[in-house]
Amino acid sequence: MSPGEVAAIMLGVFTFLILLHIPVSFALGLACIPILLIDPRLTPFLLINEMWKSYNAFILLAVPFFLLAANLMNSAGITERLVSLARATVGHLPGGLGHINVMVSMLFAGISGSSTADAAGIGSLLIPAMKKQGYDTEFSVAITACSSVMGVIIPPSIMMVVWGGLMSVSIGGLFLAGVVPGALIAIFMMGAVLIYAKTRNYPIYQRASFKEFLQSLGKSIFALVTPAIIVGGIVGGLFTPTEASVVAVIYSAILGGIVYRTIGPKEFPSVLYNSARLAAISLFCIGTASAFGWLLAYFRVPQALVDFISGYGTSIATTGFLIALSFLVIGMFIDAIPAIIILGTILLPLAESVGMHPIHFAIIGVISLAFGLVTPPYGLCLLISCSIGEIAVSKALKDVATLLLPLLILLGLTILFPEMILFLPRWLTPQFM
Amino acid sequence: MKSFLNGYTSFLQRVLTLLMGLMIVPVFLQVLSRFLGIIPRYIWTEEVARFCFVWIIMVGSMIAVRDGSHFDVDVIPKPKRFRNQGIFQLIRHIAMLALAGIFLWYGIDFAKFGFAQNSEMSGINMLSIYFAFPLAGLSWALFLGEKIYQDIRVIRGDPNPKLRL
Repeated sequence: MSPGEVAAIMLGVFTFLILLHIPVSFALGLACIPILLIDPRLTPFLLINEMWKSYNAFILLAVPFFLLAANLMNSAGITERLVSLARATVGHLPGGLGHINVMVSMLFAGISGSSTADAAGIGSLLIPAMKKQGYDTEFSVAITACSSVMGVIIPPSIMMVVWGGLMSVSIGGLFLAGVVPGALIAIFMMGAVLIYAKTRNYPIYQRASFKEFLQSLGKSIFALVTPAIIVGGIVGGLFTPTEASVVAVIYSAILGGIVYRTIGPKEFPSVLYNSARLAAISLFCIGTASAFGWLLAYFRVPQALVDFISGYGTSIATTGFLIALSFLVIGMFIDAIPAIIILGTILLPLAESVGMHPIHFAIIGVISLAFGLVTPPYGLCLLISCSIGEIAVSKALKDVATLLLPLLILLGLTILFPEMILFLPRWLTPQFM
Repeated sequence: MKSFLNGYTSFLQRVLTLLMGLMIVPVFLQVLSRFLGIIPRYIWTEEVARFCFVWIIMVGSMIAVRDGSHFDVDVIPKPKRFRNQGIFQLIRHIAMLALAGIFLWYGIDFAKFGFAQNSEMSGINMLSIYFAFPLAGLSWALFLGEKIYQDIRVIRGDPNPKLRL
């Protein structure tokens, strides 16, 4: 069979099943079956074998651990502490709670590697508070969802761990490359809040005194050193990303269980269970996505795509925009990690063929996929925020679209000016470049 | 039948919690051993962690079939009429059952393949890990059977399909 035929059958079956509301993970597995049965050299046994091989990667263990650490931090009440710190820092700006929302998202992003934990933890605290103070629900939901995408861009990031593990890119390098775009998103989002607040007359808090600032800083200091431990540990070569994730788990368990005493022996098992279940659902999808990606590669679909596209444009910028577009589209429909596995491995030869830096390629992919977290029909952070705010997804879309504009500009800048993200890893970890 | 499935689900939930807690231990030991200078004796830690890892994924996938929480995408709106919803669900569950069948059928071959191998470090027979795949197929099929039975009752117009079974 030709690469075109294989791709048409697999993507056709997959799309058809998705439209019938078959879960994505099952649809990916089922889409492999016709080819595995038709081709005499293959058998469905390979589906299970490829899944097993994908789970055999030690790096993936970091996924459940980072989720667990984030959930432990949430149950330990870290979010409340970060909110009071943010209030003392940016609460006096017009649209106080909006800025607090963005700043807490940024701080929490540095602690956890997951945007969904970010949206759930911050949303349940701040969306009701914003509604009470007279902010529009649509705006409160939209700013929570859009600022939570920093979770996957600011290190540590589960997406970057998977990307690095899968495509042999330095995870420390990826983490450092995420710092500048992450901080820019925070600045852009706060600018957007400022404009909203001015036009809609949103309330402000009284400026906190320096003493209050120091007090709230002291209360959240243990949480704030987490990124230093995780990112510093990985970049400094003290431990591998998987080990860093387990260190984050132990650290947050000690914070919640012993220092703050907010997680008792009764809560601990339920945090374990919820994290394991959520991790298992996305990891199961990673398994079938890997088999799907392997089958496409077996029939040389990625190479065929490179040959096809290289006929049109070959500059890094055009390829970058093409890559971003592909990730933006696929991210609307499936979870980011299977998207990385399927599309990342397909596009890697294309990125290599134009001489794009692997870290540049990864960051374009991660930022594009971050959009997928807030775009319907499958935008987990948006779904979570809407359910907390108790409004229909369609109602929040206008504000989400407005807030995504600055993010789109950032994506464009990242594609056009690779040095903007590459200088930091080049400077701090030249050995990884 | 329903009480058996409920019991089996809560058993799986306990196993999942336990495995998650257990998985922290070997990886943390690995970090400790590095810093305390006790070198590679702990290579087996990776294998134990992987054992927990594969089982967490497969047990989690079983539980998620029971409570219907595998992610799907809402492109086409769900039908409004109760009976049509039943038909819609039936199609979804039969498609999922097809994959369950594949996992059960080919998973048994896979498990046999595992039975022929022992792991290099810890000497665990690989059947103990590979077995997770056919078991997942079997458990999905059990849970989906329950759902399909309910879907058929919905389609036939049973007013309270969830109460019986």
